[in-house]
Parts: sequence; structure tokens; C-alpha cells
Amino acid sequence: MNALPFPGPRQVEAGLRLLGLLADGRFHSGEALGAALGMGRGGVWRVVRDIEALGFEVHGVTGKGYRLAEPLELLSEERIRAAMAPHDGPALGGLDVLPTVDSTNRWLIGRAPADAAAPAAVVSEHQSGGRGRRGRVWVSPFGQNLYLSVLWYFEDMAHALPACSLAVAVAVARAVAALGVGDVGLKWPNDVHWRGRKLAGMLLELVGEAAGPCKVVIGVGVNVNMMAADIDQPWTSLRMATGQPWDRNRVAARLLQEILAGVARFERQGMAACQADWDALDVARGRRVAVHLADGTVEGTALGTDGDGALRLRTDQGIRRFHAGEVSLRVAR
Amino acid sequence: MDIRKIKKLIELLEESGVAELEICEGEESVRISRYGSAAHPMAPVASAPPPVAAVPEPAPSADAATPPEPPAGDVVLSPMVGTFYRAPSPGAKPFVEVGQRVEEGTVLCIIEAMKLLNQIEADKAGVISGILVENGQPVEYGQTLFTIE
Repeated sequence: MNALPFPGPRQVEAGLRLLGLLADGRFHSGEALGAALGMGRGGVWRVVRDIEALGFEVHGVTGKGYRLAEPLELLSEERIRAAMAPHDGPALGGLDVLPTVDSTNRWLIGRAPADAAAPAAVVSEHQSGGRGRRGRVWVSPFGQNLYLSVLWYFEDMAHALPACSLAVAVAVARAVAALGVGDVGLKWPNDVHWRGRKLAGMLLELVGEAAGPCKVVIGVGVNVNMMAADIDQPWTSLRMATGQPWDRNRVAARLLQEILAGVARFERQGMAACQADWDALDVARGRRVAVHLADGTVEGTALGTDGDGALRLRTDQGIRRFHAGEVSLRVAR
Repeated sequence: MDIRKIKKLIELLEESGVAELEICEGEESVRISRYGSAAHPMAPVASAPPPVAAVPEPAPSADAATPPEPPAGDVVLSPMVGTFYRAPSPGAKPFVEVGQRVEEGTVLCIIEAMKLLNQIEADKAGVISGILVENGQPVEYGQTLFTIE
């Protein structure tokens, strides 16, 4: 599933239209599909190959036509908005749904108005350059997961902003739990885990100056229906965790709801707004961990986080605080 | 004041949730803050001499967080505690080198804390005359990152 070739824009458009026609999971004849797409049966066959290249299984049966191996719900602004329940955060401004993009964070940064506005969001069916931190790739196959970014304008939060990363992780964990998925945990600073496997990740990017008003783009990737991928760490998806496929519009709605409410609370109260939730979800607290830094590794016992979101570790040299680094849990011997 | 005592105070501060601590002993006093000197609460990017983080006021010269000399020209200060990166990803070309001309808005580095990436931009045009932090090293709030002439 990793780094699937993505066809050019014209094929994308035809592929998306074909996916829309086949989304119900029923058979559609080649003639009917060709008429709807404005092409001959040979053209339809080529578009079928394109969507197979995106990772979709298509059944072609002589005399019956084509169908998707299982029904697909494409992302839709209307459906996401309709599925959002009332929450105590600000109203969502713009919500763009894209078929493909390099990165939802980069797309939203490029469109952010200079002046404060309502939080805007973007979701994409696919990312050609999905990113983690420090050049890592976020595996982003078409139509399977959620790649979502929210743009937030902060008044003067200055150095307090990194803890927002933890507040967003809490919001995502709450959203997943609210969908009925148990055993969700958080690994500092903002990995969402399910039974020790990574389910969702976040990357926040600050635009403009950290003193005075600034924009933060909150990027969230959630593995939803993905069942196979080439990823170099233990991972899971909502579908793998629960054994059932998920409607991504419903998941997106819940995520947006929790993020809007959670970040608004963080803006008012800082880390205190989510400290209790964080502590309850922290998978490392009290355990032996290793913090991997650019110039070495520090081992110790995780003591949770402090009021600015930093990780506290009891080491042989006393208590140390970390603002960056990768945490790995040590297996107890 | 004994440097060991100051170290103990810093540890005390770290173990507690306290943001700032000030102790007076006779004529000596020391203030330790998590967020750098309160005397410079505003601009993280300014042409003022750099504030010094977590260092007693009668500053001992051995402290690693203290820049050697107040550098000439304008300085670019870190707006937050985090890790300093000179390039967008490992192995990539650094954003800027010493001697390079930059415009207002040119990206100089990334400071990362807790997966929040902060791209630091030049606030004025000039030539990079100094890069005071090594790639991948931790930086304090208000620490000098670059000098621009």
C-alpha cells in the first residue's frame, strides 16, 4: 500500500467519478458506466485499472459488468457537517474535501488568510507527500484513512503553544473513544495508540511569529479502514481494532468536533484543560522508557508531563524534563 | 552563591510546577525561570542583547547556556524551548549558511517541541554572520540562534 503511484489529474477525475458510480458495491454494466463517464468500454476498462492501482479491488464479471469488492463511502463536506453534533468549541469555518493533495497541512498553510478567522479544515482522500516529523512519511493511501488539517488562530500564546500538541492528542483519543473503541492510550507527545500499536499521529506547524498572534496548522492522520501497509512500526487501524469498516465521514465529524472543543479549552486554560485526561490516557507513566534525542538516548522512569507539556523522567542523574525526542517503552524484565 | 546550590535550585524548580524562583542571600540573589528572563517577556526576535535562560544574575562564565559575547548586529532569538534544526529533514540542505544573504521572511531554521514545528523566519534582510547553535541541540526560550548584519 505504501507509495502507490497516483495517476495524473485527468485520470484522477475519471477515477473519482467511477468510484462514485461503483460506491454502492453493486454491479454496473460497462455500457452504463461508459455512458455516465462519456467514454467507450475500452476507456472504462482503463479507468478500472487506474482505481485498482489506487488499491481498490474491482470485480469484473462478463455479462454483469464491474463492482467494487466492498462498498465505499467517499468523503463529503455535506455528510461530515451533517454528522457533527453540537460542541462547546467555535463553529467550523471552511471545510474543503480534496481528492488528492501533497499534504493537507501544506495546502492549508498556503491558503491561510493573514488575519484571524474561524477555524478552517481540509480533508483529503489521498496524500502524495504525507509527512511525519523530521522527514518521516505518513502512509496515505486513497480512500482508506483520514488525513485532516485544522487551521487555528491564536492570540499571544508564545512559548505555551507546544502543549497544544498534547491537547490535540487528547481530543483525537476522546473522539476515538466516543466512537466506541476501547483501550485507547497516548504516548508522549501525541501518538494515539490502541493496545501498543499506533492508530493516529499528529504534526502541528506554527506559521508566523510565536510572539503575538499566530496561526497553527494542526495535522491529524488516523488509520481508519487500512488493513495492509508497509510501515516500520507497530500500527493498527479502526477497522483492524474493531473488526468492522468505518464510515470516514462520521469519524471526521467526531474528530472535528473534539478538536474544535479541545483546542478552544486549551486556548482558555492551557494544559490544565486536558491534564486529567492526558494522565488517564498516558501509556508510559510509571514505566521504564528511553527518550531518543539527536545526540543520544536517555533512559528512566516516566513521571508524566508538567504544566507546559514537557515529559518528566526520573533518571540516575535526577529528574529531567524533555521538550522533544522520541519515546520508546522498555519491556519490563 | 555556590554553583552546586544553584544546580539544586534548578532541580527543585524542575520537580515542582513552579515557573520561576527567586532567592536572596545577603547581597547575592538568583532568579531561575523556566521561560528565560522576565525582563524580556516580549520579542523573541529583536535586536536587543540576548536574555539568558535559567542562569543566576551574577552569571558564572562557565554556564553552557550563556552565549560568549553579546554578538554584533541583529540577533534572532528562540521563541520557545525546543530542539534546533538547521534543515527541513535529516540529510537535507541547511536553510541558511554563514555569509548567506537573507531577505525578510527567509526561513532560517525549525524549532521543534512536542511535534510542534516552528519555522523561524528572518525579520529583516541582511547577511548571516553567525549560527550559534548546532543542529539537533536543545535551545532555551530567548537563546540567540543567529546573528544577522
